Amino acid sequence: MTLSILLPARDLMWAAVAIPWLGVVLGSVWRRHARLLGCITTAMAGLACGLLLWQSPKGGSLYDTLALLYTCLSFAALVVLPRRDCTWSNISGILFLLGCTLLAYWTNNLLILVAAWMLSSVPFMAVAWLGSRSWRPRAGLLISSLCLAVALTWIWVRDRTLAISALQGHAFAGAIVFWLFVLAVIFRKAMVPGHAWIPDMAETTSAIPASLLLNEHFGALLIIKLLVPLDPHAGARFPIFADFALWAALYFALRALSENSPRRLLALLTISQSACILSGLESGTAAGISGALAQWIVVSVTTVGLFAILRLLEVRFGGHFTVHRHYGLAEHSPRLAVFFAIFALAFIGLPGTLGFCSQDLLIHGALQSHPWIGLLLPITAAMNAISMFRLFTRLFLGKRRTGITVMADALPCERWALTAGVLFVVLGGLFPNAILMQPSAGLSGKLSPRIRMVKRPEGKNKFRLKAPSASPVLGRPAQKFRSQDLTRGETSSPNQMINADKSRA
Amino acid sequence: MSIPQAVLIWVVLAPGVVFAALALFWLLGYTPGEKFLTRLSSAIYLGCTAGIAVLSWTILASRAAPMGIVISLGNWYAIGHDHFSLVFMADRLSLPFLALAVVLSGLIGHFSATYLHREPGFLRFYLLLHLFAFGSFLAFAGGSFDVLAVGWEIVGITSVLLIGFFQQRSAPVENGLRVFGIYRICDIGLFAAIFALHRWAGTTALRRGFSHLHGMPVVVVCLLLLFAASGKAAQVPFSGWLPRAMEGPTPSSAIFYGAISIHVGAYLLLRAEPLLARSPLASGCVILIGGLTALHGTFAGRVSADAKTSLAYATLTQVGIVFIEIGLGWKWLAVAHIMGNAIIRTLQYLRAPSMLRDYHQMYAASGHKEPVAAVSKRTGRLGQIQLLFYRWSFDRGHLDTILDRWVIAPLFRVSECLAKLDKMGTSASGVQAHLILPCMSGPLSQENPE
Repeated sequence: MTLSILLPARDLMWAAVAIPWLGVVLGSVWRRHARLLGCITTAMAGLACGLLLWQSPKGGSLYDTLALLYTCLSFAALVVLPRRDCTWSNISGILFLLGCTLLAYWTNNLLILVAAWMLSSVPFMAVAWLGSRSWRPRAGLLISSLCLAVALTWIWVRDRTLAISALQGHAFAGAIVFWLFVLAVIFRKAMVPGHAWIPDMAETTSAIPASLLLNEHFGALLIIKLLVPLDPHAGARFPIFADFALWAALYFALRALSENSPRRLLALLTISQSACILSGLESGTAAGISGALAQWIVVSVTTVGLFAILRLLEVRFGGHFTVHRHYGLAEHSPRLAVFFAIFALAFIGLPGTLGFCSQDLLIHGALQSHPWIGLLLPITAAMNAISMFRLFTRLFLGKRRTGITVMADALPCERWALTAGVLFVVLGGLFPNAILMQPSAGLSGKLSPRIRMVKRPEGKNKFRLKAPSASPVLGRPAQKFRSQDLTRGETSSPNQMINADKSRA
Repeated sequence: MSIPQAVLIWVVLAPGVVFAALALFWLLGYTPGEKFLTRLSSAIYLGCTAGIAVLSWTILASRAAPMGIVISLGNWYAIGHDHFSLVFMADRLSLPFLALAVVLSGLIGHFSATYLHREPGFLRFYLLLHLFAFGSFLAFAGGSFDVLAVGWEIVGITSVLLIGFFQQRSAPVENGLRVFGIYRICDIGLFAAIFALHRWAGTTALRRGFSHLHGMPVVVVCLLLLFAASGKAAQVPFSGWLPRAMEGPTPSSAIFYGAISIHVGAYLLLRAEPLLARSPLASGCVILIGGLTALHGTFAGRVSADAKTSLAYATLTQVGIVFIEIGLGWKWLAVAHIMGNAIIRTLQYLRAPSMLRDYHQMYAASGHKEPVAAVSKRTGRLGQIQLLFYRWSFDRGHLDTILDRWVIAPLFRVSECLAKLDKMGTSASGVQAHLILPCMSGPLSQENPE
């Protein structure tokens, strides 16, 4: 209580956003110490996020959790960044991205959200900064920003307000704005047909900042923040979009089977697994929504780890790899191989990792809401697992690559950062309730009341599954989610949770 | 918690704890020596054997626990009304499997101390052996299909990693990838079955027996479980992976493909036996698949050129027969068959590297008489049929060819078409019609030299 008086939430939020940007400015002056500055500023931002999470009311901690996660990922990325990539442009790009992402997570104003959305793409558009050598990433980011800007203008012209809370429950600007938001999500979250820029960006920009851009999940954020809570018709429109996301996930999984560039392959797998998040959000079930949040966390941690290890290998062994041949790098870098294997296994959902919980919950949620389309999810997961295992075997196993001098395995700082990630996914898998309970309550509170309004006609699916009237073990039949159920009576109602977030924003 | 319950938990968790401790020490820079590893392995599995003896005594001698020992450790995770209950169970069905897994894990640990002496992957082998033991104990002691699936997945991944144990060669690694693919595809059946049980029966707890489930749901669940079991037990049409799995070290082949892993599929069906008994259609499918596999195994095994492959097909034949027994409802005969088959195959696999020595001994003992090889002298139509049959058996029933040609190749062709679509915008000439319709410009390989 004393701390919350001394450090109000609003000040902590502004501090967490401003400190990384201050780091960008300072880094431009002391370029030789850019990494140190970056680590210090990220750690301070992380501290602010931690304090916010500690202060936040139970069930209202969704954005604080995501902010803390993203700050930790940025810190780990700065620690493992190879010396070759420790340029001012890379480090300032990561810091700038961090500030923008935190701003987008916490804001309650449409204008600030759009500004953060646009600013976060600036480093990847500016050629001198992190700019991609391909035109498609710039086009993808630009189109998504434009769609969002047009939607925002439309809303402002019609409703003369940009506060998200003021738009609650209005039929704000109708279907056109909804579909503009959908376009923004399609291009930012890289769903078919707006997906091609992600593999291009992964290949042509610095791998670690690119992985951070992939994992801010602004597409899903837009859905959580605006699309579902605000639009009263979202319930009717969103399921089509979520089905589309499942098909997109299958498309990327299929596409990844023949991809030979490790970076592109990882990017495709990332967007395939990320697309599954949407289906979980849409399911409207407790399992689906919690699974979506767990998937968000798992994909973020594992893909940053995987991209980082891939970059470390590229730096140590020279050049880009292909998945055509075996490199046998486990012989030279056994610890990096093990870290890669654990992240990969968590990514594909091995039991004992957080990935298993997320996929289990997602599959249950998807199959509960769409028994037939939901079957695409396990198929997608299986295909992604095969592609990921192919990548691992080609990089680390097989005939030893000749002509390689003895290289260092994971350096101590890399080892500690990667061990932290591994422990997170493993301990998170062993004790998932500790991670999932609070933020998923907040997320379900926001989404479930809206999506629950949507009921597909029962007769639509001939073989629609039905729960039994009573379960001998569970005692009760599986039901649609109620937010109170998640927190076992500790949480207030969904509206109170939304208000808790709004009051702090 | 009573003493038998504590013992059950200890038996299941012990290998997992050892695996986690050894892996963490290695990651932090400490590599234990061979002697320490083998002694630790012996101690752990001796302790587990003692634990199994206690459990057996409790279940078989005591009348207090006719339904076996059941313990619930609460929920692994609980979201709303969906929760994953950690229930463990040792009953008259799971106990023989648990005992088999414990004894054979200890035996293989002891055998490998000499067999893999000074092998670069010695620690890796023991880590994977402990992880496998943990997975198999979870599968056999799981009190619900949920827990069984966790063990099932762990057994699968350790199996694949041990196939690629000799990682310096490409062939084992590629074969491991193939096996992994088949496992993952077939696991879809298990997860879908578990979801269906949650929805239709409201539980996956094994001791409930699913007595209130009837009609089409039973058939669907049984067929999904059969799909999963067929993949794990290398039944037709997934049998092609079994000879590929022989690339791993002999001790791992013995415990995986001679004893435990190959029989986990049969164990799954034994657990689903109350459901199978209510579905003649599903039972018929089990008998059909088992019969086809038994025939396939016996024919392909007879023309195999190497010892381990012959043994693999011999095992497969017996597992096919076990499936028939399960389909016919002869549950305890199947259990006895599995136990006998597992023990004899483990012995045969472990003796396989010294087969030449055994042969020389027999040759010397027989007074240096060469055994007469069977030579076919048939001619005409019968000879042609025999030759065709030989070819069919030699190519292992063309199962791999069929899978490659009709499943994998079309998938990759679609994937390559999608890749071309994705790369369309990056070509200098912009949109090209032949990239959208590859058939207009000949084979894909000409367009994309990658």
